Amino acid sequence: MKHLKILTANVHHDDQIELDAYERRGGYQAIRKVLKMDPAEVTAEVKASGLRGRGGAGFPTGVKWGFVPKNTGKPIYLLNNADESEPGTFKDRLLMERDPHLVIEGMMIAAWALGANWCCAYIRGEYSFPALMQQRAVDQAYEKGYLGKNIFGSGFDLDIVVHRGAGAYICGEETGLIESLEGNKGQPRIKPPFPAVVGLYGCPTVVNNTETLAALPWIMLNGASSYNSIGTEKSTGTKLFSASGHIKKPGVYEVNMGYPILDFINNECGGMRGDKALKAVITGGSSVPVLRADELEGVTLDYESCMEAGTFVGSGGFIVMDETTDMVEACLNLQHFYSHESCGQCTPCREGAHWVEKIVGRIYHGGGSSSDLSLIGDVTKQIAGHTICPFGDALVVPVQSFYKKFPEEFNERIDSALVSQIGNTHV
Amino acid sequence: MSESKELVTVTVDGTAVQVPKGTNLIEVARKAGVEIPHYCYHPNLSIAGNCRMCQVQVEGMPKLTIACNTGATDGMVVRTQKVSEDVAEAQRATLEFLLINHPLDCTVCDQAGHCKLQDYYYEYNGRASRFVENKVNKIKAEPVGPEVIYDGERCIVCTRCVRFCEEVTETSEFGVFNRGDKSVIGIHPGAELDNPFSGVVVDLCPVGALTHRRWRFNTRIWYTQEVNTVCTGCSTGCNAKVAVRDGKIVQVKARLNEDVNKEWMCDEGRYGFDRFQPKHRVVGPIVSGMDSDWTSAVNSSKALLGGEEPAAVLLSPFLTLEEVWVAMMFARDVMGLDAASGNIAMQLRRRDLSKLEQILVSPDYAPNARAAQLFGLCGNEESWREAVERHYESVLKQISSGSAKRILLVGEGAVAEADCDAALVKGLRSASVSLALCASHPESDPVAAACSVVLPGRTVHEKNGVMLNRDARLQRLRMLLQGPIGTQPEWMLLANLASGLGKKILPAEVTDDRGLFRAMTGSLESLSGATLVRIGDSGIELEEAAGGKDGSSDPAAV
Repeated sequence: MKHLKILTANVHHDDQIELDAYERRGGYQAIRKVLKMDPAEVTAEVKASGLRGRGGAGFPTGVKWGFVPKNTGKPIYLLNNADESEPGTFKDRLLMERDPHLVIEGMMIAAWALGANWCCAYIRGEYSFPALMQQRAVDQAYEKGYLGKNIFGSGFDLDIVVHRGAGAYICGEETGLIESLEGNKGQPRIKPPFPAVVGLYGCPTVVNNTETLAALPWIMLNGASSYNSIGTEKSTGTKLFSASGHIKKPGVYEVNMGYPILDFINNECGGMRGDKALKAVITGGSSVPVLRADELEGVTLDYESCMEAGTFVGSGGFIVMDETTDMVEACLNLQHFYSHESCGQCTPCREGAHWVEKIVGRIYHGGGSSSDLSLIGDVTKQIAGHTICPFGDALVVPVQSFYKKFPEEFNERIDSALVSQIGNTHV
Repeated sequence: MSESKELVTVTVDGTAVQVPKGTNLIEVARKAGVEIPHYCYHPNLSIAGNCRMCQVQVEGMPKLTIACNTGATDGMVVRTQKVSEDVAEAQRATLEFLLINHPLDCTVCDQAGHCKLQDYYYEYNGRASRFVENKVNKIKAEPVGPEVIYDGERCIVCTRCVRFCEEVTETSEFGVFNRGDKSVIGIHPGAELDNPFSGVVVDLCPVGALTHRRWRFNTRIWYTQEVNTVCTGCSTGCNAKVAVRDGKIVQVKARLNEDVNKEWMCDEGRYGFDRFQPKHRVVGPIVSGMDSDWTSAVNSSKALLGGEEPAAVLLSPFLTLEEVWVAMMFARDVMGLDAASGNIAMQLRRRDLSKLEQILVSPDYAPNARAAQLFGLCGNEESWREAVERHYESVLKQISSGSAKRILLVGEGAVAEADCDAALVKGLRSASVSLALCASHPESDPVAAACSVVLPGRTVHEKNGVMLNRDARLQRLRMLLQGPIGTQPEWMLLANLASGLGKKILPAEVTDDRGLFRAMTGSLESLSGATLVRIGDSGIELEEAAGGKDGSSDPAAV
């Protein structure tokens, strides 16, 4: 299958990071076109394209823009969420490192559509090189007059600030990002109000994922209908998947939505490393349920099919596990990540995330008991949906799906633990 | 919390109530008679939504929602823990979560007995914990300021203290440090919790994480008697709940009153609650510096009776409203003075306040000074405080200049400590009679020492009555401590003295403070609508106390 290259068409050119090269390959044409359009037309076009947020939630981008109230007398802010911290996800990094001007042009288009004159790229703290490249590109754009006052003679002003986070996963949640950007502790806010109404410094704010923004120039140049002709009905266009794990060719791949998972593993990823048997796949970052190998038949990489299979496209962090993987250990690894990253603001997540990790850890280390799995079930049920932000829902996903899909591995650990304990008492 | 005046109808567990649109569901439920448990919510702080205890089910919403951050809309149907098993289960879980890393050291915790973790756990969970792992160790017994100490393990990170210091005092000493289950409250580097309202954070803390350094480990709360009274530190009249044990004040909490002090209280008032108890007490009449008896005291006071000699009366601002009323009658019927004579005044010295103190504290030390205005001692000026002070200075001068020959000082604090100079002592000594009704023994009080007759009075914490605060609000002052044997409240001393001198100022049936209150409200038109029941724990405006208003002058209601 031939995949359209919308986001990664030029990433293999080493000089793509330079403004001139970017422009020579057709860059900064979409924004020139857009600046002649009415902002409402741009929003309508994005809506028509069916583009959905690529950060994980998959919310339609045009609809999100539509929530911003007009004429409040307050400035509108656009934030580029490049706090890419979901385990297994490294797609935005490629864009920032290899094609930073594409991201800038995307931000410019969104800013024009929203009426924003100030935009911030909030980049994950650990991403020092991507931030460097993004900053370099922004500097080039300023130098050339593509950012700042009166862009392309249109009268439109836009400032872009590159900001690096301080290394907290939760700052990728949009209100956590806003809090962090304001200089506060990175903790999500309670909603309502939503950022579209009360966001950065109390002003209407739109937070879009980097990949979402990078898709905008192509959509505006080629039209919504070209974009939504790719993919499926509800999942249009292409999506970046960052493949990792027990495969021959880990990396970032752009595929058309609707592409079969097994084809993706066998073709793009080059098949299983060492030709071992496939055991499980996490399709969209650690916060989506894991799929067993036997569940993959017929599942395609798009929002509908993944949901039908009981998982999500998520952020596109595609993690492949082969038969040698210890699922209890893998689960413990992920739960450790979540308990480490829990911001500690609200009760169920602050206490529950660590509790779950401790239970899984106990099972892994041979101290499990037969009631532990039902306890995990109870505890995770009371975390999900009861927290301030979606982190609570995310943290229960690995453990819930791992022990439900691989119960024999968990039970084996628990049983052997019981045997050894009984044995001890008799000695 | 209401955003508009528009009324909407909300159904809580089947009970329909009308509330202003946007009122949060905790308040809505309260109105419907349902208590929604909560930790982080406080009516006078911003919404944090972090404790997750107040979850309710709102029809049409896919998930449970927190009541504190949900505004009432018309037709909303709310189900609480009383009818929804989902809500009850979520609250049960929240409590289990809160307690997994809690040290459960209730046996040595000052908060035990008035702890929301204990209360809610008994009410909404009551099951054994399933947590068998090791608990997280956090900072313990960390002083955060001169008055407050912090225990990180007991803390549930509700951030009420953080928000209080950010939003009310705007001093921002507190912050939340670390993440996840290591989260603790802490003081920013170089800072100290030393603002004038630091003790409030202990009241706000729903658990035992913040406690008073000076009252730590002093008693279990269930061995105390908790009395709802008002603070007598200044004329603000902050509502307080005072715990008393074995004749000692062992803890003071601010009490919620939206019209007076929200739930705040200054440290000076709270920690100085027992400063009104002199160490050395008068316990019997003293005449010319010698322990004496009542008959000699009456005989020595005869010169007070109306005559040609100029007279001066100073009233303490720590007297109750009833006592001021009795003193005014005494001055009129015994001494022949009336309010307009310019010879009666109430002690008041203004003081300077820092900008921060001004959010609550009044620039005086005179809890009942507004009574002076009610009884016509300072005219009807807008700036009553200045007027009371001016009159006080004038009467003080009458005494120190030696012109007043019949002098009556009613109550502990009738003369401010700083005003007791040689001239005043000389004036008191040169009078035909100078009578002091006070609590301090002459040996430790130069004013009493200069008076020819001293009668054993009570301190402000040893009597029941009503007080009039700076905003002309009637509030109940309740007896916290028993007066020593031999002492009497000032009104009783005055009434007995008057009858000893052949004058009757109170009807015979007035034998206790309730009877006295009834007699006062019966004779003053401006108070004829007031009953102790109406004043209750939160007080009423003086305007509401005037006669005729929803006419509860039924004596049985007193």
